[in-house]
Amino acid sequence: MNESVIEISNLQKSYTETAVHVHALRGVDLSIAKGEFTAIVGPSGSGKTTLLNIIGGLDRPTDGTVKIRGNDISNLSDNQLIDFRRENIGFVFQSYNLIPVLTAKENVEFVMLLQNRSQAERDARTLELMEAVGLADRMANRPSELSGGQQQRVAVARALAPKPAFILADEPTANLDSVSTSDLLDLMAKLNEEEGITFVFSTHDQRVIDRARRVVLLEDGKIISDDRK
Amino acid sequence: MLFTVAWRNIWRSKTRTLVVIGSTIVGIWALVFLLGFFEGQVQNYMGSVIQNETSHLQYHHPNFKDDFESALVIPGAATITETLAQDNEVEAFTSRVILNGMLASSAAAQGVMAIGVDADAEQAVTNLNDKIIEGQPLTGDKKNQLLISQRMAEKLKVKLRSKVVLTFQTAEQEISSAALRVAGIYKSNKRLNDELYIFANISDLRRLAVLPDDAAHEIAVVLDDFEQVESKTISLSENSGEVLVENYRQLSPDLELMNSQIKINMTVMIVIFMLALIFGIINTMLMAVLERMRELGMLMAIGMNKVKIFLMVCLETLMISVIGAPVGIFLGFLTIEFLNRKGISLARWSSALEEFGMSDLVRPALALDNYLMVALAVVITGLLASIYPSLKAIRLRPVEALRKV
Repeated sequence: MNESVIEISNLQKSYTETAVHVHALRGVDLSIAKGEFTAIVGPSGSGKTTLLNIIGGLDRPTDGTVKIRGNDISNLSDNQLIDFRRENIGFVFQSYNLIPVLTAKENVEFVMLLQNRSQAERDARTLELMEAVGLADRMANRPSELSGGQQQRVAVARALAPKPAFILADEPTANLDSVSTSDLLDLMAKLNEEEGITFVFSTHDQRVIDRARRVVLLEDGKIISDDRK
Repeated sequence: MLFTVAWRNIWRSKTRTLVVIGSTIVGIWALVFLLGFFEGQVQNYMGSVIQNETSHLQYHHPNFKDDFESALVIPGAATITETLAQDNEVEAFTSRVILNGMLASSAAAQGVMAIGVDADAEQAVTNLNDKIIEGQPLTGDKKNQLLISQRMAEKLKVKLRSKVVLTFQTAEQEISSAALRVAGIYKSNKRLNDELYIFANISDLRRLAVLPDDAAHEIAVVLDDFEQVESKTISLSENSGEVLVENYRQLSPDLELMNSQIKINMTVMIVIFMLALIFGIINTMLMAVLERMRELGMLMAIGMNKVKIFLMVCLETLMISVIGAPVGIFLGFLTIEFLNRKGISLARWSSALEEFGMSDLVRPALALDNYLMVALAVVITGLLASIYPSLKAIRLRPVEALRKV
């Protein structure tokens, strides 16, 4: 068994939304090892987005602990969380969320710039990643000049740029057609198998679930099943 | 990269950005023009006062201006004029004898201030001869000649070569009268002065008032360099003993009042302009931030810290605020330069302006420091306007911002 990248213990999350008290997570325990290709699935309202937000350091648990690479992030301040996310977590969003005013290359480079990496290092890594996602010839294009599938591949390259502990992808195929979905899944599977990149998805998409090597089913804020293929 | 992102961000909505920049340019242009117009009015008034009334400096007996007593001549006036004649910084000067009196014709009488002048020296200082609209300037050849204003001529119902009688107090405290002949009729641009001043040869008034040949109640001085007035006042005062040396600001306190009034007006205008600009820019930038909440959430999610987010929005706001400034200032400068040469005619209000001795042609002008002040005001406005949208941006919580559509 590989070392654990994500270690979640007795995770609880409740909040009040429009005067309704929501208990989104009710004691989740989960451990994800380096190199896993995990899909977190469940119906709407099952708590998977909340779980992903907490794993990604975007939200804080009401109770319980979240350890990333052995570091407990549950009690970090906002600024510490931002720094932690920058160095440890790669995000892929449902609607790509690239910076529209930057080119594909600049989007990938951006997070490394936030890490104060040198220009030479940024250039080399950007080229490497754009080649890996098959878009080396589209580096100078802005997001509006790319298809949805291409934008999501740039988003994957951006997520990989800071060499994170894992990639967190929130419904990454939700806005893609079947061809783009298949291409993206091929790409992520390849990165997972060849380079040992850890992926954690939340998804409704059966095609993603079929390709995942571990499927965690969440319902009413609890893990109902955790299957490895 | 932050600069690049900020720069590209402001051009996301070209129309909106161009509208803000356009309105900034128009606002700055209007502000610069108005400041120039006000400054032009001050210079118009100041120029008129210096040219026609105070010159740059004047010498008086310390008590003369209390009640214009004939006996209170400037002690050592001859020495002073000799010194002034040798002073390289002095462009021109003139000695005057001033008698308070009454001028009477067969039809009417009028209280006057009779100014005894040396016609040539006076011309060099106040261009007196240029104001003559009828008749001849004073000459030393003929005795008891007089220049009166058109307004006074009408009042006394006299014409050229008419005889009038001037009654005054001599240096020996005796009331004396003399008949003078109208040699010329003048018209200045200040009604109040026209109703008061008459001009005669200084030699005639000295003789009539029983004053010594070199006596003077007033010596008016014009310097080569206007900028030297303050320092020259001090240096001449130090060397003039008990004689009072005052510059135009001391002689005409209303100048200072007008100056400070105009400065207050200018400041109020700048503040109003800044407020209008601030709210316009805050409105635009708030829209820009609210439209990009999801993107800002993403930037925070991938590790852009709050300082950098704050700086990015600040930079965008500052850029959108100051980008139009050079154009607005340059357009304002061109307008002022053009109108400075051409002049703005206020002929419609010339009779009102005459009350204050102001020309009805205003030439807008703006000193460099005022242009710099406008530029600085725009930058400060941009900085102030950037605070609220930037704070709004960093207060976003990424988890909530990412949910925004």
